[in-house]
Amino acid sequence: MVHTRLDGVQFSRMVYLGASFLSGNVKVVDGLNVFPVPDGDTGTNMNLTLTSGVEELSRKESASISDAASALAKGLLMGARGNSGVILSQLFRGFSKTVSGKEEINARQFADALKAGVDSAYQAVMKPVEGTILTVAREAADMAVRTARTSDDVVHVMEKTYEQAQETLLRTPDMLPVLKEVGVVDSGGQGLLYIYEGFLRALRGETANELKQASPQPKDQLQLDKLVQEHHNAQVHLKTEDIQYGYCTEFMVWLSHSTEPNKKPFSEALFRAQLDKMGDSLLVVSDDDVVKVHIHAEHPGNVMQYAQQFGSLHRIKIENMREQHANILKAEESKEQDAAAKSGQLGALPYGLIAVAAGKGIAEIYRSMGVHVVVEGGQTMNPSTEDFVNAITGLNAEHVIILPNNSNIIMAAQQASELAEVPVTVIPSKSIPQGMAALVAFNAGAEPMVNAEAMSKAIAHVKTGMVTHAVRDTRMGDVEIKEGDYIGIAEKEIVTSGADLMESARTLLLSMIDEDAEIVTIFLGADATQDQAAELEEAVSDAFPDVEVEILDGGQPLYPFIYSVE
Amino acid sequence: MSIVILTDSASDIEASVRQSLGIVSVPLKVMFGSETYLDGVTISSGEFFDKLKQSSALPTTSQPSPIEFAEVYKGIVEQHGKDVQIIVIMLSAALSGTYQSAMIAKTMMEDEVDITVIDSRKASFVHGMICVEAARAAQEGKNKQQILDMIDRYLDEVQVYFIVDTLEFLQKGGRIGRASAVIGSLLNIKPILMLDPAGYVSAFDKVRGTKKALNRVLETLQEYAQGQRVKVAVLHSSVPEQAAEMLERIKQEFSVSESYIQEIGPVIGTHTGPGLLGFVMVKE
Repeated sequence: MVHTRLDGVQFSRMVYLGASFLSGNVKVVDGLNVFPVPDGDTGTNMNLTLTSGVEELSRKESASISDAASALAKGLLMGARGNSGVILSQLFRGFSKTVSGKEEINARQFADALKAGVDSAYQAVMKPVEGTILTVAREAADMAVRTARTSDDVVHVMEKTYEQAQETLLRTPDMLPVLKEVGVVDSGGQGLLYIYEGFLRALRGETANELKQASPQPKDQLQLDKLVQEHHNAQVHLKTEDIQYGYCTEFMVWLSHSTEPNKKPFSEALFRAQLDKMGDSLLVVSDDDVVKVHIHAEHPGNVMQYAQQFGSLHRIKIENMREQHANILKAEESKEQDAAAKSGQLGALPYGLIAVAAGKGIAEIYRSMGVHVVVEGGQTMNPSTEDFVNAITGLNAEHVIILPNNSNIIMAAQQASELAEVPVTVIPSKSIPQGMAALVAFNAGAEPMVNAEAMSKAIAHVKTGMVTHAVRDTRMGDVEIKEGDYIGIAEKEIVTSGADLMESARTLLLSMIDEDAEIVTIFLGADATQDQAAELEEAVSDAFPDVEVEILDGGQPLYPFIYSVE
Repeated sequence: MSIVILTDSASDIEASVRQSLGIVSVPLKVMFGSETYLDGVTISSGEFFDKLKQSSALPTTSQPSPIEFAEVYKGIVEQHGKDVQIIVIMLSAALSGTYQSAMIAKTMMEDEVDITVIDSRKASFVHGMICVEAARAAQEGKNKQQILDMIDRYLDEVQVYFIVDTLEFLQKGGRIGRASAVIGSLLNIKPILMLDPAGYVSAFDKVRGTKKALNRVLETLQEYAQGQRVKVAVLHSSVPEQAAEMLERIKQEFSVSESYIQEIGPVIGTHTGPGLLGFVMVKE
């Protein structure tokens, strides 16, 4: 089917089908909403906005595209809700202005009108953000303009417009980090794509009835739907506390032109500037009689008080976005529990990290670095292969990395890796500091092979020292050791011993530091005190003023001090 | 025919340098609650970081509107005539809509004047330094194409690494992008950040402790410089002594032909917080 002209009747059909396509997919769009505030109502808002446009359009049915577009624009403007709704209304406001006075338009004029809509939308938004409905509309309109240079077929132009919108939408996560983080495409852009899809189908001659038994959805579309269903609602990944401006506030001002007392003359620029200070996501749209305002503000009262100076307020809607968001979280939580109960497990982690450690503080430090399971153990408590197998199974990760942190534990970990059903990498870390150095080198975004290499390499760059007491009389090289003496061990070698704890601790520490050392970390054992740590820190600073010293509460048994020197 | 270099206030070029080279700057805005300041115009770096210490709420920033850019374009045309060529070097579009505004403003001026808008994919005195070079080239009489080629080379080649005291400001401002995988922990882990080729803040590496981080940055820059002569800028927020110390070290270890110490301004400071040390290097 080829159309070289577009009139008001055809245009109305496009809008009707676009609206019904969007309304059938409101939940999908809502589920994607993370930007600018994760309140999960983009689809609802766009749908209500478009519904208002459709109502106005059907009231004033006309064969003239000028009249039809103008009715749609008016209805959209009146009904615009939410960021995406206002942007949608602007897209068709610009469109309507361009086709004004025309009975019908050709492909080129259609493309230009789409483009004018985009310009109008960009101007209405105080801070246009790329990776949103704006980008989708813009790139799609640019494509329309390019296509119309060589084609006079409106259907073909709409086809290319739709394809470009789809392509751009899939790239939105690359443009807007918050989308990538959550793993979704932009919600407003998705809404627009549904509308465009309706437009295209209408131009091809489909009607709303046929739509119900429509051909299978395009492949990307299916993937998107799946994405939405598989991922929990996107909003769940963000925190309620992160919402800075808590109230989504919308209203209209009917400007008073008469010389009413106490009413000021209206300037859109000034009005916008003033409101911009009161919140974000500001949208101000006005014609001669009406100003439509959408803002996320912390104090909606102040916004309305200011606006009331210019006229009377109508269609006021204020929603508490923190509450909305908290409700989404709650709904998601119970859904998650149901799902977990059904399948017995949640989605697999890309990486599971297991470390062996003794001492509450050390376990805490490991967890703060992203370790999922700390297996209790160390020199005198070696965990079993079974302990590791259980930890691996409990993790439900695609790939597991184990840090044994003791030479006597590496074997058990390796054995577990052979028994496990998922791939396991054992990093041969022989001490607590080595395990930590390996973790600093871990990169959640890298391939297992790359991580294994980087982590194993990092182990070589850290020196480990430990202070403990001798369990029996012994002799090591020239060092005579009596039971109960404090001994200082650097890597595997006993370098000092004596009856005085602090004497041994200091001697060991200073012997480990050379000119390459940059940072010394002292892990305090369960029996060591902060005063003792301060004494050691002072000794280091005196001898090596350039070296950074960090003291952490390790809480480990048997070893009053563990040192890490890098 | 004259060429004018136009940038944004996030380029953090000293006012005196700008004036002497005829660089025009459009200010971004910094908001503390309901108070709005023009970056570098109604608030200085010093005032900003003082205010940051006292303010309980974090400041926010906003880009200049297209209208503001259009007015600046018009002002330049009024001053230099219709034949002026304007080269607009903007803060990374991945971090700010400033580039977008400049582009929209350009479309509003279409056919009236020759405007080239460049997304530098950089920030602070990184694109600032490139503006300085471009303005010098313009003064030396280079033509537009020569200057654009030079800008391209610098943009591709310039090295940028920085270390922040805390990731909090980058996170709150939503500017951390691909670096967000770097999480804090009880260990003093310092992420070394960079601007990636697309202009996002991303993690280059992470190490324990500031000293190690600084050493790692200098090692990386050595690999880049390969003993050749380089231009260097050390950027900082509220840590002038550390910056001076680092520059001294760089001068000893590199063959430095030109160097700057530059305090970062309010807009960039909003997203990095105090305690930033940044290193910019490009071969001569």
